[in-house]
Amino acid sequence: MSRWFRVTAIALLSAAALAHATDSPVDAQAPGVLLSRQLAARAHVSIGDTVTFAADPEGTRRVTLRVAGIYEPTPDPMRFTAQRLEAHLHLPDLVALVADEADPAAREAVDAINVKLTDPGDAARFGAELAARAPGVAVTPTSRARDDDPFAVLDRFHVAISAVTVIGATAFLLALMVIRAEERRDTVAILRLIGISRRSLLAAVAIEGLLIAVVGAIFGVLTAFAAEGLVNRVFQARYDTALVFLRVTPSIALRSVAIALPLGLAAGIGASWPLLRGEILSLFRR
Amino acid sequence: MTSLWLAWRTTKRYRVRAVLAVIGVAVIGALLFDMLLLSRGLLASFADLLNSGGFDVRIVGSEGMPIVRLPIAGSTRLATELRALPEVRDVVLIRIERATLWSNERTSRPVTLVGTTQASGGPYTIVRGDDLPRDSSFDRCPILVSRRLAASLGVEPGSSVKISVNPDGVRSALPAVSCRVTGVVNFFFASAGENSVATTMTALQQALSGPGVDADLILAASQPATGPAAAVRAIHRVRPDVRAYSNEDVVALFNQNGFAYFRQISFVLSSLTTVFAFLLVATLLTVSVNQRLGEIAALRALGISRGRIASILLWESALLVGGGALLALPLGGLLALGLDHLLRQMPGLPERLHFFVFQWRAVATHAALFGVTAAAAAAYPMWLTARLPIAATLRREVVG
Repeated sequence: MSRWFRVTAIALLSAAALAHATDSPVDAQAPGVLLSRQLAARAHVSIGDTVTFAADPEGTRRVTLRVAGIYEPTPDPMRFTAQRLEAHLHLPDLVALVADEADPAAREAVDAINVKLTDPGDAARFGAELAARAPGVAVTPTSRARDDDPFAVLDRFHVAISAVTVIGATAFLLALMVIRAEERRDTVAILRLIGISRRSLLAAVAIEGLLIAVVGAIFGVLTAFAAEGLVNRVFQARYDTALVFLRVTPSIALRSVAIALPLGLAAGIGASWPLLRGEILSLFRR
Repeated sequence: MTSLWLAWRTTKRYRVRAVLAVIGVAVIGALLFDMLLLSRGLLASFADLLNSGGFDVRIVGSEGMPIVRLPIAGSTRLATELRALPEVRDVVLIRIERATLWSNERTSRPVTLVGTTQASGGPYTIVRGDDLPRDSSFDRCPILVSRRLAASLGVEPGSSVKISVNPDGVRSALPAVSCRVTGVVNFFFASAGENSVATTMTALQQALSGPGVDADLILAASQPATGPAAAVRAIHRVRPDVRAYSNEDVVALFNQNGFAYFRQISFVLSSLTTVFAFLLVATLLTVSVNQRLGEIAALRALGISRGRIASILLWESALLVGGGALLALPLGGLLALGLDHLLRQMPGLPERLHFFVFQWRAVATHAALFGVTAAAAAAYPMWLTARLPIAATLRREVVG
């Protein structure tokens, strides 16, 4: 367990934060506090300033703290729409601010305790043992099971959408290749008439389909790479977060190419197959 | 022969490519239709879910999203005050706790225990048995159990069970209380994997060992004549320290915070699929027109006007896009069922919440987008044929 506990005081406390840019000797001895970048910008404070936190709107219970640093909140995809107006205080400072003076046990109470296990695989056993020793304490592992992870569901949703897009794109590619094959009906007829084998012609259309697929896939991947920065910048500015919304990884690029190549090949061969299979005279419409 | 008939004959002549184009448009159109359903589906479903209980104002003790609940101090007195307001028709107190339900000495399940002052017609449908009794003097702890829980424990209406409450954040070992199952129900707000139990507020207070236990949610139904907004204002006048939200406020908050991802992906994918359909139909038509330049020049030489040729191309585009767009509706419906099933596997979602909800507005938008796409896709081929030099083209065709 970490030696220092840190408790995040969100929204309610930070809404009551007031900035006082003074440099008195008393301020230099004030306990330190870390403010999120968003809160520091909203409150117009910088490192070294003193701020007052109050536990109630009237400010009857308050504490003066010195801004020791400004931090970028860890991006959280579950909360990317939330305004991260947060402050990190040392636990004793927060307890002194919010604890109910009439309740002696209040100074010992915390909302949560983070525990780092020596062996993360022991999480279930540790949870069961703690629940048995301390009834009423809820033990929750920080790692999610795949079935409980909303992002695993979103991942499957994205894969399903990609599959539908690939099916639509394949139909269009096939239609284009059919037009292309019909355009070359006479050429194919002449080539077959002068003795070029079906196998050679099949290889030619297969290579052509493959080349089109390769060029298309590379163009698609380059477009995705180019769009990555733009999309991230737009959404990061929109939600004031450092969260990365779109990341084109080499494995995704490779997967796209790996899907595009066989589809292009199949579309090329499939569209030209009637021309290669039929009688030569039928190609001359005789 | 009309332009439409000529376009139909051309489409029939090149039927393989036409069928493939229609399939492509249908698949992409299905995706577009689904994204339009998604763009407001979750909100519509959420609003429907909120309105299903018959209460249009929610009162909580904490600020922000009214999902995070703290006990409302003096909730029973507040309910009495609210019932006296002319803007309020009905008030119900609710408290939700985690609990353990024991069907016998050895078999138990963790459950979500909902205590309510609503005697009948709560947010559930009764599958077997009866509703919670109006008069709890005869039955000290009547409970309704979810169908899933009943099946899991093998309990039926009339079964006796024990419940011990495990309040959040409180280190306690409250004694179990004996309860009787009065009915098996489907809860509107329960998630797929959740075991839910409803009981009377009196029974819940008894299980929590105290009559002074406050509610953490108060539902109010506004008078139809004044509406929920007036009720919210009146409630704030009575108790400025609580937060009251109309169902519209809750939906708006949800739209702002919880729905952002789906709104964004819906917008991005709708735009992309429309552009994709435009590019592909435009490409197909352009390639097709280039292939038929000689034929078009011959028609022009026979005296068919530029406008007529343009009209034929526009109809060809409309046939391809329109055929695909029509097929996209049933296809999109089927796809929406699959995608909805997939997304509803998210943990913690109420079973009755859907992501894709049919709306005529989505059909109208779908039709409008494809109408524009058909016109835009035909624009370049129409321009090509309009400036086609008849003699030079015919000569090139003959010489070539």
